[in-house]
Amino acid sequence: MTTLLPTAFTVAEINYWAILPVLIVFGGALIGVLVDAFAPRSSRHSIQVALALLTIAASFGALVWKAVDNKGATLDGAMIIDGPALFMQGSVLLLSFLSVLLMAEKFSSAGADAFTPMGAAVPGSPLEAAATRAGWGTSEVFPLALFSVAGMMIFPAAGDLLVMFVALEVLSLPLYLLTGLARRRRLLSQEAALKYFLLGSFSSAFFLFGSALLFGYAGSVKFSALSQAITTAPADVEGLLLPGVLLVLVGLLFKVGAVPFHQWTPDVYQGAPSPITGFMAACTKLAAFGAILRLAYTGIDADRWDWRMGVAAIAALTMIVGSVLSVTQTDIKRLLAYSSVAHAGFILVGVLAFDATGVSGVMFYVLAYGLATIAAFGIVALVREGSAEASHIAQWSGLGKRHPVVAGIFALLLLTFAGIPLTSGFTAKFAAFAPAIAHGGTTLAVLVVIGVLCSLVTAFVYVRVIVLMYFSEAQGEVRALNPSVLTTVGLAVAVILTVALGVFPAPVLDLANQASQFIR
Amino acid sequence: MTGTAEAVTFWILGSLSVLSALGLLFARKAVHAALGVAFTMAILGIFYIGQGAPFLGVVQMFVYSGAVMMLFLFVVMLIGVDSSDSLVETLKGQRWLTLLLSLGLGALLIGMIGRITVTGTPNLNAINASPGNISAMAEVIFGKYVWVFEITSALLITAALGAMVLAHRERMGEKPNQREWARRRFQRGEFVSGLPAPGVYARHNAVDTPALLPDGTPTELSVSRTLQARDQVARPGLFSAAEHDPHQEIEEGSAR
Repeated sequence: MTTLLPTAFTVAEINYWAILPVLIVFGGALIGVLVDAFAPRSSRHSIQVALALLTIAASFGALVWKAVDNKGATLDGAMIIDGPALFMQGSVLLLSFLSVLLMAEKFSSAGADAFTPMGAAVPGSPLEAAATRAGWGTSEVFPLALFSVAGMMIFPAAGDLLVMFVALEVLSLPLYLLTGLARRRRLLSQEAALKYFLLGSFSSAFFLFGSALLFGYAGSVKFSALSQAITTAPADVEGLLLPGVLLVLVGLLFKVGAVPFHQWTPDVYQGAPSPITGFMAACTKLAAFGAILRLAYTGIDADRWDWRMGVAAIAALTMIVGSVLSVTQTDIKRLLAYSSVAHAGFILVGVLAFDATGVSGVMFYVLAYGLATIAAFGIVALVREGSAEASHIAQWSGLGKRHPVVAGIFALLLLTFAGIPLTSGFTAKFAAFAPAIAHGGTTLAVLVVIGVLCSLVTAFVYVRVIVLMYFSEAQGEVRALNPSVLTTVGLAVAVILTVALGVFPAPVLDLANQASQFIR
Repeated sequence: MTGTAEAVTFWILGSLSVLSALGLLFARKAVHAALGVAFTMAILGIFYIGQGAPFLGVVQMFVYSGAVMMLFLFVVMLIGVDSSDSLVETLKGQRWLTLLLSLGLGALLIGMIGRITVTGTPNLNAINASPGNISAMAEVIFGKYVWVFEITSALLITAALGAMVLAHRERMGEKPNQREWARRRFQRGEFVSGLPAPGVYARHNAVDTPALLPDGTPTELSVSRTLQARDQVARPGLFSAAEHDPHQEIEEGSAR
């Protein structure tokens, strides 16, 4: 029996330049907490928004300035800063910057419009009304979002199962809270938060159980040691490997919303405040696919013949269930939720290619999907009937005549989701499916066929919404609010990048290709 | 191989911990479930001590069984000891499906994990002797797991912030003092002399017993709203029944 502990104390070597981007985000979040404790209520919102944007920008600066030249394992292998990690971290920062711009929108409210003035007040109580009148706001959402961003940056760069687990919690816990802080339909929002929390903890338990089994198998939580153990194949503990791999994968697939672990997705997407839904849909999916790539390509790749078929079945189910159920949806947020489930299936096909081109295809896909998603939920937050969001699809009829710009942008985003040629959705699907055909054999070829058929089904759903917006008569008093300058900038950047990724995808594809090599 | 004492301890405590863990699953009342967890945690602590990790065992006892689970109990009592889970099945056939899937997962795990063989007697004697039990742990925490240790702090801060956001009700404006309350009552012209006090009966601490109006109907104003929400208000009918039939009361009293 080998001893697991070092005989003398060894200090973990830390390459501070490599983890500087993460440290900056943590620092910004901590300052945000202090701001909330000490700054006067009237100026909190502006300070928090400025701080969050500044932090994310500084972190991005540190990433491109220093971290890219400090690749390698650091902190005794706990963090591995390599191409995919850097690409994912940069994408998370870009997407979260846009999300913060959308979260900061005030409209006519005194605080951020999407968030309740007082989370502790009972929905509909006099206290809540008084807090609204007094112009209070929940400015804590910005430090919470920053904590979540830090977790999302660690998640795809984690070098061992333990760091991956803690990162999973760091990114999820703020999201559970943010989900429950909607200003309108608060009961729905709180129910969504509770559901997300319970199911999320459940899946974390699966992940932890699987990690324990893999630790028993490899004698270490490190992915490199796990990969090595699989190649030497210790016969006496061989029974721990497959259940460990399956349970860990369950924990990760829950986060991307793959069927059958997708139950939470529609309820949470519907209940959460729209900017948070966009943030969650884009960034969580991105970080979780980063983590799945890391685990699948550097940890359990040698054992892939055991679990590949299982994940392929999950991918097929995810695509089919996601696209078929999106046909029956009548709520725009639930529709986008099921569409996100279907997209998770498309991305999983790319993951299974087991080639560097598959990695770059997945990375391009999650970035393109994230940009379009943030913009789409930004638009959903603009379309209102009375003060509440017009979330029923029937309420969107005739929007094209009243608000041609808003409806036009939304139609463009829907076409992107559908993957019409010359949109980023098409390039992304191509980038994810091509390596699957080239390197995946018959199984993946079948998956790609299913993927293309499911794309057609979802395209039908999106086109139906577009037809509704342009070719039917308007009902009720639905209108699109005029966003502030910050939101307009955020939306515009997301839309322009979505278009650019469709028309000139080459630079980003090249970047993803260069960044597709994992360091073990 | 394990010694006799260790084996005896394991089989006795192991079965007890399985029983209390099952108690967590099947208990209808939250208090019983919480006690089941606390008991299981305590037994786990004993196991750790038995395996040569006294520090971990004691921390397990203190922190989990002691602090966390007792906090849990406090919360359960604040919410209401009487509240129990609703056992209405909202999705049809869900319970059977759950049972089937859980059994399948259990069978898979037992089947796979049961295949492993462990040789030798792994123990912590060497580590306990040379760097020492606690020092060895410190070396790992501040050595190779330092990053995990540090980023866990983010989790704690998030939890604290979340508790504040979701549960801390800040007061809007000044707290009204007695003078202010009196002024408001006179301004509105109702309950000028204050709300009616709860009814007082000799055999009860009477906060849960509503005062009776002249016509004999109870007035809800006299009882705390919390008690009403929990449906813990005594019905005055009980006492009028006792008045009609005093013999039974006397018999009951003498039996006590």
